[in-house]
Amino acid sequence: MKLLKFLLSILLLAGLTMVFVACSKSDPTPATILVSAKISNLAADPPSGGYSNMGVPIGVTNKYSLFSFQTGAVVLNTDSATTKWDIGFNSTKIIVNSGTSGLGTASGQVVIDIFDAINIAPDNGYLQDNKNAVPALYAITRGSGNGWYSVNQTSNVVTPIAGKVLIFKTANGKYAKMEILSYYLNAPASPTSADQARYYTFRYVYQPDGSKSLK
Amino acid sequence: MLKFLTVLVTIILLGTLVRAQDSLQTKQLDEIIVTATRNERTMGALPMPVTLIQQSQIKTMGSLRLNDVLSEQTGLTIVPQVNGQGNGLQLQGFNPDYTLILIDGEPLIGRYTGSLELSRITVGNIKQIEIVKGPSSSLYGSDALAGVVNIITERPQGKRGSFYSRYGTNNTLDLSGDYSYTSGKLGVYVFANRYSTDGYDLSPENFGKTVSPFRNYTANFKITYKFSPKTDLSLSGRYFDEEQKFNFEVLTAGLGKIRTSGSGIIRDWNFNPVLVHRFTNRLKMTARFYSTHYETATHLNNEATDTLYYTDDFKQTFQRPELNAEYYFSDKNILTLGAGTIFESIQTSRYGDESVRRQQTRYAFFQDEWSPVTRLHIIAGGRFDYNTIYGSQFSPKLSGRFELSKKIILKGSYGVGFKAPDFRQLYFNFNNSAGGGYSVLGTEVVGDRLAQLQSQGQIQAYLYDPALIGKLNAERSESFNLGAHAEVVKALQMDVNLFYNSINNLIETQVVAITTASQSIYSYRNIKRAYTTGLEFNASYPIARKLNLSAGYQLLYAKDKDVAEQVAKGEVFWRDPMTLVTKRLTPGEYYGLYNRSRHMANIKLFYSDKEKGWDASVRVIYRGRYGIGDIRGNIQGESIPSSDLDGNGILDTHDRFVNGYALVNVSVAKTLQQSLRFQVGVDNLFDYKYPIYIPNIAGRLMYVSVSYSFSNNKSNKN
Repeated sequence: MKLLKFLLSILLLAGLTMVFVACSKSDPTPATILVSAKISNLAADPPSGGYSNMGVPIGVTNKYSLFSFQTGAVVLNTDSATTKWDIGFNSTKIIVNSGTSGLGTASGQVVIDIFDAINIAPDNGYLQDNKNAVPALYAITRGSGNGWYSVNQTSNVVTPIAGKVLIFKTANGKYAKMEILSYYLNAPASPTSADQARYYTFRYVYQPDGSKSLK
Repeated sequence: MLKFLTVLVTIILLGTLVRAQDSLQTKQLDEIIVTATRNERTMGALPMPVTLIQQSQIKTMGSLRLNDVLSEQTGLTIVPQVNGQGNGLQLQGFNPDYTLILIDGEPLIGRYTGSLELSRITVGNIKQIEIVKGPSSSLYGSDALAGVVNIITERPQGKRGSFYSRYGTNNTLDLSGDYSYTSGKLGVYVFANRYSTDGYDLSPENFGKTVSPFRNYTANFKITYKFSPKTDLSLSGRYFDEEQKFNFEVLTAGLGKIRTSGSGIIRDWNFNPVLVHRFTNRLKMTARFYSTHYETATHLNNEATDTLYYTDDFKQTFQRPELNAEYYFSDKNILTLGAGTIFESIQTSRYGDESVRRQQTRYAFFQDEWSPVTRLHIIAGGRFDYNTIYGSQFSPKLSGRFELSKKIILKGSYGVGFKAPDFRQLYFNFNNSAGGGYSVLGTEVVGDRLAQLQSQGQIQAYLYDPALIGKLNAERSESFNLGAHAEVVKALQMDVNLFYNSINNLIETQVVAITTASQSIYSYRNIKRAYTTGLEFNASYPIARKLNLSAGYQLLYAKDKDVAEQVAKGEVFWRDPMTLVTKRLTPGEYYGLYNRSRHMANIKLFYSDKEKGWDASVRVIYRGRYGIGDIRGNIQGESIPSSDLDGNGILDTHDRFVNGYALVNVSVAKTLQQSLRFQVGVDNLFDYKYPIYIPNIAGRLMYVSVSYSFSNNKSNKN
């Protein structure tokens, strides 16, 4: 009898453990696992280097490097008139695939908070790009101190402002949060104007299941 | 510090330990100060914080230029300017642009890039320097937010003359001579100075020097004529000429380093006739017409191609007729009224063209000095300034002094200060086509330029409400000073002053639009708010008969009000540069504005034996740690990383600080037969240097000087 109780307990424990393990991997299908990634040195139209293989010419050309959260990679520049991309980078400017920037319906906003503390994407506040508005309206506000970065006016060093989190609703209606960590090649801890600018390092969390949960 | 203590103890032991009957400071309280009220008043009677530096002290210090003297005073520090061009004076935590510098009560111009270069002023003809802390716009108008530094120069006084020469490190040579002549109604004073130096190089590995060699001449005269016992005329003038030889290596985007050489010149002159007439015993009127001119020009050639690399020029004029009246209702109630007009013009290549920009300010002021009872002294005043561009300003000031007892005197003042938008903020027209392509436009030109770009279809987007672009108001401050003077122990003089300055409408650049070529257009806007608050303490005590010990300390908190509010709301974060993890900043972690030291202190020992002709000094000047914000000191190819390490653009405890440091200056002089004087001295005895962050500290400077003075009168020299 004692032995039976013991065996039952073991079984129960094992069962519980299995339930717990299952819970922590509770996504219905493996395809919608929350994606958490870090991208290093995404070239945003730098004077040299870049994505010639992606159709983005080398040298300052004012072309955007287009990025898809779904693939986690840069998109061919020839696909700019599609919904294959969510956001685009050119120098300090970030566009979303909508309005005057693209054919899609992507939108975004800048939230002031700690990246890891944002568990749920906000319900509203998302904007599409409209450069024709006065003053112009961009989902990711431009200008030093207005959006994600500040420029030291004498050294011209661009610093991502700590606590600025970019939240996007992607071209196909999914949510993502993003934190820019550096604007310089290889993300030096204390960049100077001698470092190569226009290289983004950022981390993001992408929720492929369409929910607002970002944790 | 330990070395200094040894020196200090030795000097104390050497001195005869006899207590003096009175001290330097007591004598000082009877000295005449003009800056605080625009009239001659004794220092001790003034209700606001005033510092007086006398000629004898400057001579003992062995100083040559104004910045040498000011940098040793409590609460003052010489800071490199934001754009790296020149140095300026920080007072009660204000930037150099906010302190008015006067020579004999008339403003020094040439704020070419904001602050005034204090090395323009030789100390050779200075009788005394008066520093009034707290806003003085009620008397002086624009720029007197932090306070006023007034340099009082020598006047004709008997028949006497002197010659001074000093030679020291960096081949620095200073030669001065002056002569005074009075006969009957006429008085004449002339002064000339030549200063030259090889400059210095803190980073020999780079081409060119940190400070390039320069030489300058100063000439100054003053003629006084007494038409009658009631009428005095005074004519004075100054001429200054400086030439600097440059060798720079300029860092350029894409083109690498370019070696340049060339020269820069600075010239200024002023002329000031003043007529004083006493109509009755009660009414005195003064008429003056001050004119001054400043110009500077720089030319740099590209050495490799021998072609012009850079050139700029800047000319400024300032004229001010003014009339004022002083009326004595009684000895206990004195009214001052004044009015005048300021005509200013500016012409510079930096504003896109060489056209002359003019502006006019009309003003009137009043001040009443009233002593209803012996123990109470009140000064109330105000000034109204009207300007066509930035509108009108009223700047009141109220101060009071109350004798609590024979030993304790309380002082308090409240005042409003303002600073007019400068010419740069109004007319700047700068297009940086090389460095990424952006424009900075003054508020008086931005409207036209935007309209022009708009009509050409070159505006991609406005980033700021167009209705608000191009409007600029004066920057304003409101200040409180509350202090006490005490002599609780005989001969121990103590002064304490608490200050609070609230500054609004601070002007900052603002991006207003973006062109179709993605170039940003900046203009200016009243946007920032800040405060500076703290405490100043000074004490002086004659530790021996001929030996005076003084100590000074300033505690300072200087913060951006908006940032402080955001931090309090939890809206400011910091990112660890190593782990890249972001955390919320707590109010305690926000340190404040850049370039402000929380603690500054000095200890000075002055020895003077008039009978035997010896004088000596040991001065220790301490500046506590501070953060570095925006300095563009990389003309030599060294790029200076800012203090901000953690991605929030503000100075907090996680950032990099410049450590505190102390400079020790010593001097000894011997005077023979009251006319021939020899002096040797060392400034920065322990050779403190920090090339990247403190380019204005040259390292150890040794010097010897010889001077000779003669006089036909007895006891007219101190």
